[in-house]
Amino acid sequence: MFLINCPYCGERDQSEFSAGGEAHIERPKQPTELSDDQWAEFLFMRKNIKGIQYERWNHTHGCRKWFNMVRDTSNDKIHAVYKMGEKPPVK
Amino acid sequence: MLNYNSPILDSKNYSGLKISVIEPIIKINLRGKNRDFITKIGKELSIIPPTEANTSSGNENLNILWLSPDEWLIYSNNKIDFKNNNSLEDKLFNEISKVKLGAVTNVTDHWIMINLKGEKVFELLSGGCPYNFNDFKNLKGSVTQTLVNHIDVIIHNKDINDLNLFVRRSFSEHLWSWINDGSRFI
Ligand SMILES: [Zn+2]
Repeated sequence: MFLINCPYCGERDQSEFSAGGEAHIERPKQPTELSDDQWAEFLFMRKNIKGIQYERWNHTHGCRKWFNMVRDTSNDKIHAVYKMGEKPPVK
Repeated sequence: MLNYNSPILDSKNYSGLKISVIEPIIKINLRGKNRDFITKIGKELSIIPPTEANTSSGNENLNILWLSPDEWLIYSNNKIDFKNNNSLEDKLFNEISKVKLGAVTNVTDHWIMINLKGEKVFELLSGGCPYNFNDFKNLKGSVTQTLVNHIDVIIHNKDINDLNLFVRRSFSEHLWSWINDGSRFI
């Protein structure tokens, strides 16, 4: 169990949130021009870092807003929380 | 089709706690983003939707609860008067939805309102809720959306030890059983 600081509601228990996978993955501008391998790379391939990871989270049982988080996957320490559309803090 | 019937219409007394389902109560969901939307609501209802998180605003008739930066829940302090029960929805729909300022949705049948009153309310909720009520409890008008016994709820701190809890209709019987069960042990 750990606490997450929702950028809209404030500090809440982790059980109110859902993880939404890696953040800052851009959809290719012209999917039709990609090979199957390139498209699969965008669609399925995700980093699974042991350490600092940039992630999307949703406050499912609260304000239901999406936001980004910088989390250390080895110890669940949250380094930053920021709104969608905001620039990620530099490492 | 709106039928304004609650699956439960009950009231129970326990030591230090009184629980009652209060229905039918009109509930309207508001969604909007820009300043014009907020101003318009303020003009129509004479209540400004709160922009501060986890708060509410209201007068003797209506409450507006903050749900997220662009979403609010309006509910009435009085039961529906069936002679003119759609006037509020119609008024808001015409002034907001029709002119594309935002979205107005009647959620009267979506949520069931349970009133919890007494000095044991927070003791009861703490038994199945991840939310920290320490600040909430002393702040009249505060609002939170959280889980109670794994069920999504909206809780409005109406007055000291007097809460209105909103639960989805389909979960209401289950939560009502849980509340009754929990109340026996506090
Ligand atoms: Zn939130």
